Order: sequence, then structure tokens, then C-alpha cells
Amino acid sequence: MKGFEEIDHTADRAFRVTGRDMVALLKNATRAMQALDGLPPPTEASATREIEVEGIDRETLLVNWLNEILFLEQAHRLVCTDFQIFECKNHHVRGRVETSEAEHRLTHIKAVTFHNLTVREIPEGLEAEIVVDV
Amino acid sequence: MLGRGHIERVAERVWEIPKTFRSDMRVPARLYADEDLLGAALLDNSIVQLVNTATLPGIVKYAIAMPDIHQGYGFPIGGVVATRLPEGVISPGGVGYDINCGVRLLVSLVSVEEVLPYLEDIASRLYSNCPSGVGAHGHLRLNNAELDGVLHEGSCWMLDKGYASREDLDRTEEFGRIPGADAAFVSDRARERGRGQLGTLGAGNHFIEVDRVAEVYDDATAARLRIYSGNIAVQIHCGSRGLGHQICEDYVSRFQKTAQDYRIELPDRELVCAPFNSKEGQEYFCAMACAANFAFANRQLLAHMIRQSFEEVLAGKIKDFDLRQVYDIAHNMAKVEEHNVGGCSVRVCVHRKGATRAFGPGSSVLPDDLRDLGQPVLIPGSMGTASYVLIGTKGAMEETFGSTCHGAGRVMSRARAKKMVRGTALRDQLKSRGILICAGSMSGLAEEAPAAYKDVAQVVDVVHKLGIGRKIARLEPVAVIKG
Repeated sequence: MKGFEEIDHTADRAFRVTGRDMVALLKNATRAMQALDGLPPPTEASATREIEVEGIDRETLLVNWLNEILFLEQAHRLVCTDFQIFECKNHHVRGRVETSEAEHRLTHIKAVTFHNLTVREIPEGLEAEIVVDV
Repeated sequence: MLGRGHIERVAERVWEIPKTFRSDMRVPARLYADEDLLGAALLDNSIVQLVNTATLPGIVKYAIAMPDIHQGYGFPIGGVVATRLPEGVISPGGVGYDINCGVRLLVSLVSVEEVLPYLEDIASRLYSNCPSGVGAHGHLRLNNAELDGVLHEGSCWMLDKGYASREDLDRTEEFGRIPGADAAFVSDRARERGRGQLGTLGAGNHFIEVDRVAEVYDDATAARLRIYSGNIAVQIHCGSRGLGHQICEDYVSRFQKTAQDYRIELPDRELVCAPFNSKEGQEYFCAMACAANFAFANRQLLAHMIRQSFEEVLAGKIKDFDLRQVYDIAHNMAKVEEHNVGGCSVRVCVHRKGATRAFGPGSSVLPDDLRDLGQPVLIPGSMGTASYVLIGTKGAMEETFGSTCHGAGRVMSRARAKKMVRGTALRDQLKSRGILICAGSMSGLAEEAPAAYKDVAQVVDVVHKLGIGRKIARLEPVAVIKG
């Protein structure tokens, strides 16, 4: 299952993402954001980084996680090629991302927003719609 | 669901959604538009977003939207909200991620005909001297003390370093420096993202554009601004880059809890806010002012690089190609201003999200030589279409907290524009119309296709006829540099 689809937004970009649980939602949302950003296909990882993110609820955890990935990509010019999540509970997530360098890549997403964001429970698990600023 | 039936016409080109429409509205919502532009606004969620802003604590008069309104996140783009101080709120999402995104206009006394033989060289020199793309790095690498200098002093720091003239500062909103900036409230991450980005353009709808002054509507006022028909002009459209994005992100995330602490209930989490005079509100304002100063400095350094590019190409070939600044305006900002509300002068925090300050004649915040005239207002069109120079008016002071529109306003999503338009075809089409395009990304170019925007002439006509901005001149592009 792809786990995400782009939805229409006039000024920025938006996507709907699903996952069977919070870990899957985080993973699929990351892939969705990278797909919207037009990232090149994953290459061999050159380094790994431990990341730890927390929120006050599922929505803040989701936005903070995506913004963490975006920060790595923009401030350090890295592409996150793969990631593992070791722990995800009480609105706290700990994981490791595999990264490769992307010196000449143009990225378009400035930030992940909270606009109308709700992580909903659906029969298949969880669903959210996310707007990113471009 | 909000539809045409909920919107009342209160005057020609003035529409209102009454406070009774939704129980959480604190004031009515007002939209300035003609029938067509009202129809366009109803195609997406922008009017719902406008109504949402009418719920912000401390809002006075109306939640306002300009004719270039379109769907954003939290606020609609084209939104203006003023909150009464000290109890009213400040909302980081209401300013947006690109804090002090704005426009600068430079003009010369040479004609397009004189420059045309060198235009390709100028465009390629601009493209190489002014780095573009979201993560692009510029020519200046600042240490911590220098970055603090930029954050606190804005364009004044650029003047000290020889990248600006005194005249540039006089012709910049707030003279290129927002008071109250305090870098102690800027995160290490924001510093890291912004440190190498001074003098860079960014991506999305940001651009440098070489224009021809195509038409002058008011010769006397245009002459005061050194704008003459047929001459070359250059526009810069960009903001505070990764530094501003990170500051907004930091505070929108932090305010998710702050809004709960102050028991502020909102219809959209992107509208999170804090009382302006609270510790949290003041900390955001200090950080936002840093980003605003960074943006002024960024456009100043780009202006320097543009002047250098012209020098590199034109020196010894033609004379008097100096580029002098008409003005520099912000269109994503929260500012403390005095305005007349119900016959009384009231101190308010004016959020302009995709809206331009348009102070009229007599304003004490304008430089001496412009005070009798009013503030120059710069309205860029979409790529390949006209842009406009306006002047601020008394009408804007009375009606819209000294604000007017900021551009054409999108009407089509980026995804749809990319499906409908091929970047290379668009580039060739514009070239056949005499407009050179230098762009880092063809898909990014397609997203910015003119068909994705409203007609800027129609938008500007609305604000002109309403008296919340007065048309002075129209510019037409001859070369566009995009991220």
C-alpha cells in the first residue's frame, strides 16, 4: 500500500496519509513529503543519525517528526533514504535515519503546517491530511 | 458550508460575512473584491479561512481579505487582522513561515532599448550572482556575532558593511530595521538554517525580474519616484529564507501548548496565538523581528548583487545605469501600529499575511521626502504578466488598517498547474513574447505559470477603485530569474 495521495491546495501542497498505527503513519507521511518534494530515488546511505522527537499529542508528534526530517534535508543537505523507528509511545518517538548527501538538490517545502490537522481513527488504522508550505 | 448566500454586499466591491454567521466569530469578515474575484474566492476554502481569523481574541473592526485572497494555511493569503493591544493576540501562523517575504523595486534612468542588446548577459549574470532554490547558500558566511548583527540591525548592518546606501534604507519599510529584535529568542536551528543564506532568492514564487516601465498613470508622482515610461526597473521578491521558516515552525509548535495554557479556543491549530504582552507573545515578536531584519538584509544584499551584475555587464558600454531604490515593502508581518477604530486612536498588532502596508500621505513613519505623497506600494504580477506601482492612500488608513493587496493571487493548485503546463514549453512561449527566463527547475516554473494566477490588472483595479491604493505605473517583464 502506498499510504498517501496528494490532494488539491491552491497556494501550497497537501497530502492525505494513512497508516495502520502511528509508526506506519509517520513512515508514510515522510515518504509522502519526500515524493512531493521531488526527491531523487534513494541511493546508498552514507551515514546514519539518531533522532528523537516529542509532541503533546499525535498531531504535534507528526508535524515535529516531519519538520525534523525537513531540517536534516535543508540544513545539512541530506536525503533521508530509510528510517527505523525503535520506540513510539506517549507522543514520543525515537528512531534512526539513513542519509545520503544531496549537494545540488533543490527542495521546495519550507515547513509542515498544523492547518486543520487531525489524526483520525479509521477502520484501517489512522489517517491525516497535511498541508506543507512551499 | 459557506456559500454565496451567506455573503452580504455592503457597498460596491465590499462584501461581508456577518458576525452571526458563526457563533465563534468576534467581528464580521470583510472581503474587498468585484463579482468575478468573489466568485474565484468561493472556489477554495479561503473564505472559511477568513471567517476563522475573525475568531482571534482581541480582533477589532473586521477580519479583512484583499481581492487577491486565496487559500493558505491558517490565515487566507491576502488576509489582514488587527488585534487591540495589550490584550489582543499575536499569531505566528498568521504571519506565516516566510516572515517578511516582500518586494523591492529598483529603477534606472536608462531605457530598455539601450539595455536590450545586453539583456541575455545580464540575466545569466543575475542567475549566477543571486543563488536560488530553497536550500541555496549565498556568498556571505556569517559568524555568530555577524549573524546577531544582521538579526538586530537588518539593512543597517548592510549599510555598515558597504552593501547599502543611506537612500536604500530611507526607501525601505521601517527603514530596513524592525525595532525590538532579540536574537536570544532565535533557536540554534533557525541560525543554522539561515546562516549561509543571506543574499539568496529561495524557490516557489520568489524571483528577480527585469522590467520595462510600460505605462505611467500619474506623471508627477511617478517622477518623484524616478519612474519614467520606457525605462528599466528591477524587482526582487523573497523573504527570510530558512531562518524565518524555522522561527515560525518553532513558535507554531510551541504555541500549540501555549494556546491551551491561555485557554484560547480556535477553529484551526495553525492559528495558535498568545496574548501580545505575554512572555510567549513577546518572545515570538522578538524572534519575528529578527527574521524580518534578516529578510530586509537579504533583499539588500540581493540588490547589491544585482547592481554588481549590471556593472559587470554594462560598464563602459552605456551610461547612467545606476539602479536606485523606489521602495521595499513587507507582505508577511505582524506590526504594532496606531489606527483609528471607532473614532479613537488605538494601538493594534496588525497581521498582514499576503497583504501590503499602504500608508497614506502624512504618515509619520514615512521618510521626509515621501511624507506628503504616501508610501509606495509594489504589487508584483504572476510570471510573464504586468506588475504595478501604487501609492498608499487615506482610504486604506480609514478602511483596511493601512493595507492593500500584495499580488495577483493564485487560482489553481500547483499540482494542477504542473499537469497542465510543461516548464520548457512555457519558457519557450515566454521567450517568443520577448521575456527571457532563467530557472533552476522546470517543474517549479510550470507551478508558477500565469494561468495559475488571477488577473493582476483586475486585482489592482479593485483596490484602485476602492481607494485603498492608487495606481502610479505598470511594469512589464523582459527577463525573469527564478529558483
